[in-house]
Amino acid sequence: MPGIRAAALAAFLLPAAAPAQELPVVKLFTTGGTIQSLGKDRLKLAEYREGRIDGETIIEAVPEASRLARIEVEAISAVSSTRMGAEQGLPLARQLMTELERPEVAGAVVTHGTTTLEETAYFLHLTVRTTKPVVVIGSMRPWTAVSRDGPLNFLGAVRTVLTPEAAGKGVLVLLNDTIHSARFVTKRHTYHIETFVSPDVGPLGFADADRVVLYRSPITRHTADSEFDLDGIEELPQVDVVYGYQEASRAPIDALVKEGAKGIILADGSPAYRNAVLEAQAAGVVVVQGSRKGSGRVVLSDRTAARSEITADNLHPQKARILLRLALTRTTDAKELQRIFNEY
Amino acid sequence: MSTERAFVTAGAALLAAATSAAQEIPPLPPPGIDLPHVVLVSVGGEIATGCETPLERVGCTSGGETFAPETWTRDLPDLGLAARIRTEDLRAFSRADGGAAPEHWFGLANRLRQLAEESEVDGVVVTHGADGLADTAFFLNLVLPTRKPVVLVAAQRPWSAVSGDGPLNLYDAVRVAADPAAAGNGVVVVANQEVHAARDARRTSAYRMDGFGSVDLGLIGVADPDIVRFFTEPTRRHTHRSEFELAALPEALPAVEIVAAVPDAPGRLIDASVAAGAKGLVVDGAGGLSGGQLEAVRRAHDQGIVVVATSATRGGRVPETSALRESGIIPGDNLTPGKARTLLRLALTRTSDPTEIRRFFAEY
Repeated sequence: MPGIRAAALAAFLLPAAAPAQELPVVKLFTTGGTIQSLGKDRLKLAEYREGRIDGETIIEAVPEASRLARIEVEAISAVSSTRMGAEQGLPLARQLMTELERPEVAGAVVTHGTTTLEETAYFLHLTVRTTKPVVVIGSMRPWTAVSRDGPLNFLGAVRTVLTPEAAGKGVLVLLNDTIHSARFVTKRHTYHIETFVSPDVGPLGFADADRVVLYRSPITRHTADSEFDLDGIEELPQVDVVYGYQEASRAPIDALVKEGAKGIILADGSPAYRNAVLEAQAAGVVVVQGSRKGSGRVVLSDRTAARSEITADNLHPQKARILLRLALTRTTDAKELQRIFNEY
Repeated sequence: MSTERAFVTAGAALLAAATSAAQEIPPLPPPGIDLPHVVLVSVGGEIATGCETPLERVGCTSGGETFAPETWTRDLPDLGLAARIRTEDLRAFSRADGGAAPEHWFGLANRLRQLAEESEVDGVVVTHGADGLADTAFFLNLVLPTRKPVVLVAAQRPWSAVSGDGPLNLYDAVRVAADPAAAGNGVVVVANQEVHAARDARRTSAYRMDGFGSVDLGLIGVADPDIVRFFTEPTRRHTHRSEFELAALPEALPAVEIVAAVPDAPGRLIDASVAAGAKGLVVDGAGGLSGGQLEAVRRAHDQGIVVVATSATRGGRVPETSALRESGIIPGDNLTPGKARTLLRLALTRTSDPTEIRRFFAEY
């Protein structure tokens, strides 16, 4: 019965299949994560091995997607999102740019583990020079689970790539039918289906059953309009996040400076940070004031400006880190860095 | 003691508190500084209302009355930090609760259009009762042919209330209207330090401070203590990108009624609306129409009446299902019934072709 319904729905939603060579190409880049994971049985919702399901399996499970586009797979990695970083992000961004230059390629879908999905998505948002849609997806439930969300997220991403209004809006993140901008999205729950949110700002739109709708465009700079250039960049400067809490000691800041960090993002603060920050700045380390609150901007004040402290706007510390790493490839000037945080 | 005198007393007490050492008024910029020019238009509302005591915070319990807009510039000279202010009193357009009466929407829109066309005007702020603000804002968003910022602002508490939100909302509204980044975004609603797009803004609380929100979506900008900052822009058509021409619209828009879709409802409210001359209907429901209502919709369709569905869940769109398509009912996207009604009334001035009406609901 569910099969019959799905077929009826597909017939309603999707046009008759065109010959494969006439369809636009959608690139599927796989990096791993829960959407590619294998559990022991279908009720294992939180215990599974990431990266065991490949892109071809995802495509085969959702034949409706292949009626809309010719999907080409590129496997980048097969790891959980906590293992992702510049090592995968740099080649991913470069391959995206190369593939998106092909005229027949309409856009790309990237699979990713959910915990750090927003970090890779924001990195791509800042570095991939394109106006074609790039949609990063994950899933909250393993590929093998009952009521898994992976297949629908994949189909929604392909539909979004093929939606003309999705062009020029930067990198998008899609889970749970909801389309977010990589700039604002964050993971807000450990495992629920409705986990990805854009605090305050809200999503850009929805991949609904009848059509893909986009109500908003991000106006912060991104993708084609970004000043960051990966040409000649093999690695990114070390930037770390220091979490503020009551009675926090200065030891993490001192340790990071000693280790050679070029930048530090403070997620709120502690009185003990005051002198540690001054010494770090004297040693040439850039310090950005962020917030651990998850919503709202860190406002600019005369006092922070006088201290050459840069504020992170409403970027979460983990995303402020991505922006600072890229910004430090261009400048260490506090005013210029603040401009970058105001614009991106 | 007359209400007005009582208010002046309460206001003077507040003002005295405001000018004590703890709340210094920052120095105004020296003359010659070229600040943007903002017209502050009063349609009234809680933000223009004084009660007898500061503890009357959900409207005035014993009357109270609205005051002329000069009171704002007197009570809140800080407005002069953000813009050169000119006031205009349009309280004659308001109904009892301080919102613009729909019969005055055209009067208001025409005056706002004139103001926006003045070359020296950079932006316009309109104060409004919190009730109905979202509907007035959406109407203006559809008919005002301007790129200049038009900001609607309200307060959840009377101007005279303790910890009233009116002063900061008004100050923020002027800052947004004076900000070039607000231009071209359509009519916006400023409240509680947030900037919302008129199409999506809704009243989300009857009296708490977070009184406005854009359900499912979110704010498009913030009026933060340091700067006004925009994050996104609305993609649906509005103001300078709207095809509705204010001058070409009839004074009396086609009648459209709102009917609740209830499982066991008879169809007679729909029949009665049609008999009374409705050219369109908005059916608002979460579980579809009753059999009697569906039959009444069929009868309405036979007479050329356009029927639009909105979702009483107040979250999510009305999806175009095959059942809805077969019934000939047009999905009202994610609009509230009131906003769907406004859009349908305007759309019916152009066409009653269902395909074309569908396009309006997909584009606006």
